Amino acid sequence: MSEQSDLILIVDDEPDMCWALEHLLHSQGLATRRGLSAREALELMQQERFSRVFLDAKLPDMDGLELARRILEIAPATRVIMVSGYFYRNDVSIQEAVSQGLIHGFISKPFLQEEILKVLTA
Amino acid sequence: MEKNDAAAENGSELQRYRTLYDMLLEAIPSSVLLIDRDLRIVSVNRNFLEKNRRTLPDTIGRRLDEVFPAIIIDQMDFSGRIRQVFERNYYIKGERMTYRAPGIPLRIYYYSILPFSWKGVVELAMLLMEDVTEQVRLSEEVRRVERHLASVVESAQDIVLSTDMEARILTWNTAAERLSGFTLNEVRGEYFFNLFHRDDQGEMSNVFANLRAGKDAQMVEWDLKTKDGGRVPVSWIFSPMKDHLSQTVGVVAVGRDLTERRKFEAQLLQSQKLAALGVMAGGIAHEIRNPLAVCASAAQFIMNPEISPEFRQECAEKIHAGIHRASMIIENLLRFSRPSVQTDLKEIDLNFLLEETLSLVTNQARIQKIEMHWQAAPEPIRINGMEGLLQQAFLNLLLNAIKAMPDGGALGIAMDKTDREAWVSISDTGHGIAANDLNNIFDPFYTTAPAGQGSGLGLSICYSIIKQHFGTIVADSEAGKGSTFTVRLPMMEANAA
Repeated sequence: MSEQSDLILIVDDEPDMCWALEHLLHSQGLATRRGLSAREALELMQQERFSRVFLDAKLPDMDGLELARRILEIAPATRVIMVSGYFYRNDVSIQEAVSQGLIHGFISKPFLQEEILKVLTA
Repeated sequence: MEKNDAAAENGSELQRYRTLYDMLLEAIPSSVLLIDRDLRIVSVNRNFLEKNRRTLPDTIGRRLDEVFPAIIIDQMDFSGRIRQVFERNYYIKGERMTYRAPGIPLRIYYYSILPFSWKGVVELAMLLMEDVTEQVRLSEEVRRVERHLASVVESAQDIVLSTDMEARILTWNTAAERLSGFTLNEVRGEYFFNLFHRDDQGEMSNVFANLRAGKDAQMVEWDLKTKDGGRVPVSWIFSPMKDHLSQTVGVVAVGRDLTERRKFEAQLLQSQKLAALGVMAGGIAHEIRNPLAVCASAAQFIMNPEISPEFRQECAEKIHAGIHRASMIIENLLRFSRPSVQTDLKEIDLNFLLEETLSLVTNQARIQKIEMHWQAAPEPIRINGMEGLLQQAFLNLLLNAIKAMPDGGALGIAMDKTDREAWVSISDTGHGIAANDLNNIFDPFYTTAPAGQGSGLGLSICYSIIKQHFGTIVADSEAGKGSTFTVRLPMMEANAA
């Protein structure tokens, strides 16, 4: 993987979702941090360097795509993967976000573990 | 000389009386005829001649049957009657006669035949004829108008009834008989209140008190009891019935059967629900896919045989909890989407109802980053109501509030009660309602939303539902600042508590 940190940020207001992703990533030997809101996520972004962010589309305090934009402002090299039950893969807003480079991948909920693992190697 | 003078004076006096008599006779606005024993006309006044277009020469000395049409003489038995007057010296008074002389429009007379006696012997018979054509025509007109009015009332599809000031029934039309099954005879003199269920009777005495106090028309919706023990929903308008001095002397009630309208409203409600479901679908999809994703992940962990028993247990618990959460969401949705045909009142805790309704929109609010300020009442608020309908009303208000805040805001729900009523207020910090729209927002099909985005029925349905619960709904709003809708519902009567 990259020479950068292998620390991964998980942003979801649903603690059980974080739990599921954390277990999966930990089993791959990766370290994670958890943000239950956009505010928490941005605070963590200021404190540490993350190679990847798994991001929910709808957060109580901010839209996921808006948060993606702010994350890239802070750390442009971060790869942002949206994990959402609200959008579907062919959603216009998702395709736009991908083409604008706002997000680097989209996984719809519920997901297969392989889908998550696949984006780790991308 | 003196004697002659007196005689001459006497003669002129007599002449003067005769002239006076003639003038009197001519001036009487009735026909006067003097008839002798041979039924010949001895004297006749101008009124008769004019009315019958006759002259003095072709009338005086003629027999009755030469002057009156034969049919009248026969039908009235004129000859017989006049003979009786001569023989028995008695009156014939106030008989009616329809007279049609050739070339003359039909006239109606009241006639009397009076004996004209000299020293106990009947010399002549006097026939007095009074033309009452106009009076008869007027009274027939009055009767015709009365009949017309009566048939208007009787033909009406709506109930039309009247009561005295004490609410005792005076009249009751066919529609009232048809709807209630009671005939006028069964209800005449009965108290109007007795035709209704006890719950409505308090409000009813208020309405009658208001009418007695001089208030104008009052509108209410009360169920009418029917003879077979059922009840019919009826919307009533009560108006004071005034006499010619503008004194209120009674009450007129017009009632319309709401059965059909209720059916229509139920259909409308169902389509409203489907529209609301559309709005909610996005939020619900998101909400359901979260627990599904947790379940799916946990299941995939379990598929790995190498995990610890503790982790396996944890995964199973997550799956269990996730499924429960998803099925709760689905249950709410199901309960909501069912048509609520149930219209019977039951005891409802408003606190609980609001909480449940709120859970249907929480996801949508979260997606729009709307803060919810839910301020439950300190204790249960029990009212009598139709659960499904009230839920629909509050849901519409909540969805409206959410729709008014596309870029986030605050949604406030507060409620409490007094002895007499419960109130719920739903406020938003959205785009608000323009002052000139505020008066129309409860009108059906009134919408400011672009075509295809709002039916304009949501608030009118709310209004109708709250009305059916004898409550009120008012809106306060300022464009750009937000709106507050306040619903007030009467508390249920304190019974076996």
